[in-house]
Amino acid sequence: MLTIENLSVSYGLHRALAGVSLTVNPGEIVVMLGANGAGKSTLLRAVAGICEGGATGHIDISGKDLLSRKSDEIVEAGIAFVPEGRGIFGDLTVWENLMLGAYSKRAQRAKDKNLKWVLELFPKLIERKDQIARTMSGGEQQMVAIGRAMMANPEVLMLDEPSLGLSPLLCQELFGNLSHIRETGMGVLLVEQNAKQSLAIADRGYLIENGEITGENNAQAMLNDPAVQAAYLGAGAAKD
Amino acid sequence: MDILLSGLLLSGTYALIAMGLNLQYGVARIMNLANGEMLVLGGLAAFWMYTAAALSPLLTALIAAPLAFSGNWLLYRYLLLPLVRRAKTQGQLEVDSILATFGMSFALVGIMVSIHGEYFTYSYLAEPFKILGQTVALNRLVAFIVAIGIGGGLYYWLTHTYQGTAVRAVSVSTEAAGLVGINVERVSAFAFALGGAVTAVGGTLISTFITLEASVGVIFTMKALIIIIMGGVGDIRGAIVAAVILGLVETTVASVIDPGLTLVAAYVIFLAILLFRPQGLFGRRA
Ligand SMILES: Nc1ncnc2c1ncn2[C@@H]1O[C@H](COP(=O)(O)OP(=O)(O)OP(=O)(O)O)[C@@H](O)[C@H]1O
Ligand SMILES: [Mg+2]
Repeated sequence: MLTIENLSVSYGLHRALAGVSLTVNPGEIVVMLGANGAGKSTLLRAVAGICEGGATGHIDISGKDLLSRKSDEIVEAGIAFVPEGRGIFGDLTVWENLMLGAYSKRAQRAKDKNLKWVLELFPKLIERKDQIARTMSGGEQQMVAIGRAMMANPEVLMLDEPSLGLSPLLCQELFGNLSHIRETGMGVLLVEQNAKQSLAIADRGYLIENGEITGENNAQAMLNDPAVQAAYLGAGAAKD
Repeated sequence: MDILLSGLLLSGTYALIAMGLNLQYGVARIMNLANGEMLVLGGLAAFWMYTAAALSPLLTALIAAPLAFSGNWLLYRYLLLPLVRRAKTQGQLEVDSILATFGMSFALVGIMVSIHGEYFTYSYLAEPFKILGQTVALNRLVAFIVAIGIGGGLYYWLTHTYQGTAVRAVSVSTEAAGLVGINVERVSAFAFALGGAVTAVGGTLISTFITLEASVGVIFTMKALIIIIMGGVGDIRGAIVAAVILGLVETTVASVIDPGLTLVAAYVIFLAILLFRPQGLFGRRA
């Protein structure tokens, strides 16, 4: 279980997060919605240990303190992160990317099991295993990124706008896949612009504005909340 | 034909040297201007052991490698890592590391001059050898074979083993490498140390057929830089092709025009690449 308490992050004088608290339970999909610049990426990057800003507060996963740890130690503690723009190794092959996903000790223990899982979820990666990752299409690269993160055998998987740049059809496929990931018992913390589709597969949601959490509810209630509809489901709600 | 052969033989060692700098610059992200001095140190060791104890330079290489590895590891850990940690951008790290290693190159030259201020003249396997109907110096051939052996082994390790793949992953992206659980500082220190060891071994090999002296290192730094920029940073195959080109051009210019102009020729290639293909021959890094 991932617990964040009173987390604040500043880039110099600019405070990007102010006292954020949230939790992600095992097997749960939590989605975070917020406008551009609200601090969503900052939150995920701070948890993953790659945030350029200074962080205070408390982050732990199953009792292991994560704040101000280095990113490789945070992976070892049980967090995997797919950053905005995917962050795969473009010059390496698909297979090398997946194998490197299991670099940590915790991942080596469960490598075979996770590899089987990933290839069941993304069978396309088998035929593409020797392809140089950067030559793949955006959707395929996203599979590599998510597959690689799953190879890390995480307790909680964090994804920063995974649907960015994907066609509506691929988006649908992506969210379908993410809802399957839950079955492994992994928790998922998802940052999305695509509020409707992400809330549809999520258990709970948070709203974040100007670096502060302004709302929290279960996903179904959020979908029906007029305020959420107005702010994040505007176009979608009007259409239906 | 004769030129072609000696050019090829020369490029074997050049490729090895470029591999060393590639590990330091491409993986550890340190632009090491003292790289040539590390090479000359290897040559000095070979000269020293040969004149003092009649030890074959090939055996000296075996001793020099772990010594250079440890020395470079300490250098990275205590001098360069603080710069890496402090740097907010790659550009800043580049400026810092260039200043630090440029200064260091003078210090190393001074130390070597105080050890042996003259040419490192010795004669090892300086006998003609017939191959492919041509006559070449045996020491050049031996240096070539050893360089190809080490370089090939290193290439295989980087491309076909898990730890080697992790080293390449750091060279692609330090952030992504950390996110899969790779200890980037540890791998960088290792790559820097390995690069230093490879360079020193290259120096012992080169000293068997080129007479070195304490202050000649900067020329080899420049050659390695030319090869890497021509081949593309982090691109090992590109570096090999570039090393062959440099070896051939230098040998051709030296035998057809004037030996004094080899550096000029190298510099002209360097400028042309910088102007027309700054991303390297194969443009791997855009
Ligand atoms: N490295 C940085 N240095 C300085 N300021 C930053 C840095 N990264 C983010 N910020 C600032 O922090 C605030 C939050 O940025 P963040 O990237 O977390 O937003 P976001 O919610 O992910 O937005 P988006 O939806 O556009 O991705 C913004 O005002 C941004 O300008
Ligand atoms: Mg963002």
